[in-house]
Amino acid sequence: MVTLNVNGRTVDVNAAPDTPLLWALRDELKLKGTRYGCGAGMCGACTVHIDGQATFSCQMTIGDAAGAEITTIEGLSETGDHRVQQAWIAEQVPQCGYCQSGQIMRAAALLANNPRPSRQEIVDEMSANLCRCGTYPRIIRAIERAAQEG
Amino acid sequence: MKVHTRHPTRRGFLKGSGALSFALLATGSAAVLPSATEAQPLPDGRVTAWVTITPDNRMTIMFGSAEMGQGVSTSLPMIVAEELDADWSTVASEQVSTDPEGVYGNPMAGGILFAAGSSSVEGYFTYLRQAGAQARQILIRIAGAHWGVPPEEVTTRQSTVLHEPTGAVMTYGEVAALPDPVWPSGEMPQAELKLRADWSIMGTDVERLDIPGKTTGAPVYSIDVEVPDMLHGALLLSPVEGETPTLNSDTDARAVDGVVDVIVMDHAVAVLARSYTAALAGRDALDVRWTETSPFRKANSADELAALAAAADDMSADAVVWESRGGDQAAFSSADVVTGTYTTEHVYHAQMEPLNAVASVDADGMGAEIWLGTQSQTASIMIAAAVLGTTPDRIRFHAMQMGGAFGRRTVFAREQMRDALLLSKAAGRPVKLVWTREDDVKNGWLRPATVQRLDAALDAEGYPTALRHRIASPSIFQFAMPDRWNPETRRDLLVMEGAESSDYDFGTFQAEHVLVPRRSRLSAWRGIGWAPNCFARECFMDELAERAGIDPVSYRRRLLAGSPRALAVLDAAVAMSDFGNPPEGRAHGIAFAGYKKTLATGVAEVSYEGERLRVHRFWTAIDPGIVIHPQAYRAQVEGGILFGLSSVLRERSTFTKGQIDQSNFYDYEPIRISDIPEIEVRFVESGEAPSGGGEIGVPMTAPAISNAVRRLTGESQRRLPFVTGS
Ligand code: FES
Ligand code: FES
Repeated sequence: MVTLNVNGRTVDVNAAPDTPLLWALRDELKLKGTRYGCGAGMCGACTVHIDGQATFSCQMTIGDAAGAEITTIEGLSETGDHRVQQAWIAEQVPQCGYCQSGQIMRAAALLANNPRPSRQEIVDEMSANLCRCGTYPRIIRAIERAAQEG
Repeated sequence: MKVHTRHPTRRGFLKGSGALSFALLATGSAAVLPSATEAQPLPDGRVTAWVTITPDNRMTIMFGSAEMGQGVSTSLPMIVAEELDADWSTVASEQVSTDPEGVYGNPMAGGILFAAGSSSVEGYFTYLRQAGAQARQILIRIAGAHWGVPPEEVTTRQSTVLHEPTGAVMTYGEVAALPDPVWPSGEMPQAELKLRADWSIMGTDVERLDIPGKTTGAPVYSIDVEVPDMLHGALLLSPVEGETPTLNSDTDARAVDGVVDVIVMDHAVAVLARSYTAALAGRDALDVRWTETSPFRKANSADELAALAAAADDMSADAVVWESRGGDQAAFSSADVVTGTYTTEHVYHAQMEPLNAVASVDADGMGAEIWLGTQSQTASIMIAAAVLGTTPDRIRFHAMQMGGAFGRRTVFAREQMRDALLLSKAAGRPVKLVWTREDDVKNGWLRPATVQRLDAALDAEGYPTALRHRIASPSIFQFAMPDRWNPETRRDLLVMEGAESSDYDFGTFQAEHVLVPRRSRLSAWRGIGWAPNCFARECFMDELAERAGIDPVSYRRRLLAGSPRALAVLDAAVAMSDFGNPPEGRAHGIAFAGYKKTLATGVAEVSYEGERLRVHRFWTAIDPGIVIHPQAYRAQVEGGILFGLSSVLRERSTFTKGQIDQSNFYDYEPIRISDIPEIEVRFVESGEAPSGGGEIGVPMTAPAISNAVRRLTGESQRRLPFVTGS
C-alpha cells in the first residue's frame, strides 16, 4: 500500500512500491488519460507533472512518487480550459490523440517554468515526446499561441 | 434510388421515443426509422438509427469508416449535415461498430466497414450526399403535411423548416417533437443535391468534433477499456514466426502475486493476471522452450536485400506485368539505355498505441463482446466469428478510436483479437491483451523491402522513348490476404500501385513485379506502394533530366504535358517555393507524386549541418478534388510529409535469423519535433470529386529530399533510409 497525492487528492494505492506510476495511475486509479507508449522513457505518452516538472510516469515507481504532488491530464484544469488546452483546440493539434495528453502536460510544464520560450527552447523541450501522426508543426504553433495569450 | 417512407399507421414510435430517427437502407436511401417497438434491435441492444434528431434540436450522425486521427468523425458527418441543411453547431457524431444490414460500408471498399488507402471521403461522398438530401426531403414532407401546405413550398435553412407564404417556421427539433406527425406516403424521386455555391458546411474549417476531448485525455482507446471481472494478459510470443512453445515450468510465474493463470497457446504462452504489471512479471518468470525448427530461422534482412537486388537485375526472372502501354519492348535492348536502381528497406508502423484487444467470450463459447481499434469492423467481426466457429450475429463489436494505425490495423492486426478471444474462452472471463512496445516492434508486420530497377531508352534530347519500372519485392497481399490472392494473375496492388505512372508519357512503358519469397511478416504502410514506387521513379526522373542537361521542372513538364492536373500542381509548387533559388548553402529538390486520383508536387529545401541532413522547408501543391474539411486535410498532409521524412532519416527494421533486431523507440526511432521542416500546403482546385488525403504526403517527400541532396552534394541517395541520413 502506497499513499499518493494525485490531482490534489490523497489516495491509497494497493500495489507494491516498485510498481511504475504509469500503471498505478491507469489501472489502480483508473486515470486513463495518461498513456502507455513505450515504457522506456522514449516517447512521453505517459508524461505527468511531479511537483510541477514534466516526468515520464513509466520511469518512476510509486514508492518514489509518494510525497510528491502528482498532476495528470485529468487534473491539469477543472474544465479542460487550461490555456495550453485552449491553444491546442485553436490550432487543431490532435490527430489520433494518443500522444496528446503527454504533449499537453509537457507543454504546460514548459510554460509554467518559462512563460516566453523561444522556438528553439520549445523544440528542445518537446523533443522528449513522440507523435507518430505528425502533429509537431501544430504543437509548436499552439505553444507559441499559449505563451502569447498567457 | 428511391426514398422509402412508412405508412402513417406505423408512426407510433415518434410519440414514444421523442426523437426522429432516420435509417440508411441497403439501397443507399434514407428512411424514417420504424417504431422502436417494431424494429429489430441489434445484438448490442441498439436500433440502427443513422441520423437522430431530438426535440432539443440536436442531431447525432452515425458514420461508417473508422477514426484513427484522420478526421472522418467530422468530415463524413459534414457531408450529411450539408445536404440535410443542418445547423452544424447542433451536430454530434458517432462511429458505427457493426453493420448487419450492410448500409454503412464504404462503397469503394466493396461495401464493408473499412478505413484504409485514403478511401473514406472519396468512397462515401456521393452516397452520403444523396442520403442526406433524402432525409431533408422527409423533414420537408412532414412539416408540409403538418402545416397543410404543399411540400414544394417548404424550404430549409440551418436546421429549420420554413414556409414563407404563411411565415410558418419549425426547428428540426420541433419536427421531431410533433405529437402526431403525418409521415409522407408513397415514393419520392431521387433528391436534388445542393449546388456547390450554396454549401455552408462542406469546404469550411468547422472545429473537429473529436479534438476537444483529445485535449483532456478523455478518449477511450481499446487499451483503456475496463470490463468487470477482467483479467490482464501478456504474451510470451514465439521469437520466430511459426514456432510452438513447450512449457518447462510456470511455477515461478504462478508464484507472482496477482497471476491467475498461465495458458499455453500454439504460438505463445499467455500469462493472465489481475494487473498488467503482474502479467508482465509473470511472463518474465516463465521458463519456455521453442521448437526452433521454423524455416524463418534462416531469414536475414541483409540476405533479402541481396536477393531482391539480384532479382531486379535478372532479366530472365519471372515478372508479373502490372501495367503496359505502347509495345516496343525491343527498345530496352537498344544501346542507349540508362539504368537506375533504388532500394527501400523494411519499415515498421510505430503507431503510438501498441496493439491490444479486449474480449469477453460468452459462457457457451459461441459468442463474444469485443473492443478493438480496427480499420475494418466488418473484417474483424468475420474473423472473430471464424475464431469461435460461430456466426457474425453472435459478435457484439465495439470499434474503438485508434491510437494511430497507418495500415497496421487493417486485416493485419487480427492476431491480437484472436488471442484475446481464445484466452477469454479458456479463462471464462473477459481478457484485455496488450502487447508491450517491444512485442509490437518485434512482431511487426513490415512494409517489405523493395529493389527497383528503372531502364529508360532515350531519344537524342535525352527524353525517354521507353521506360521500364521493375520492382522486386515479396507480396504483401499473398501473405496478408491469402484467401483473396489470385495465384494466376498474382497482382499485388499493395506493392505495385503507384508504379503505373499514368500521368507521364514515356512512349513505351511497362511496370512489372518480380515476386521474391517473403522472409518476414508483411503489411501495407502509410503511402502503400506509392511511397517506394514514386521514390524510385522521381529520383530517376531527376537523374535523367540532369543527364540531358535540362532542368528538372522543364523535363517533367514535357513528360507530363498530357495531364493538365499534373502540370497545375507542378507549376504551383514551383511558384510557391521559388524553386531553384534556395538560400546560400541549401538546395531545392522537386518530386511529382500522386496517390490514386490525388496529385501533388513537393519541393524540399535541404542543407547539411556537419553530418546531419536538415530539411528546412517543404512546400506542396495538391489537387485533392473537392476538400470537405481543409484544416483536417492539411493536417493529414503535414503528417504524411513527416512520415515520409522519417523514412528518409532513420526508419529501418532489420532481422537476423528470423528475429527483428530492434526493440523499442531507442533503436526504432521515428522523427522527433527537432527534425521537422516548415511545411506549406496549397490546394490547387480542379473541381474533381474528393480524393483521399491520408497517404498523399508520403510519396512525394523522400524523392524531393533525395533530389535536393543530390543537387547539394552531387551524390545520389538511392536508398531509404538514406545511407548518410542522420
Ligand atoms: S510510455 Fe513512458 S516514455 Fe513512453
Ligand atoms: S496525435 Fe497521434 S500520435 Fe500524436
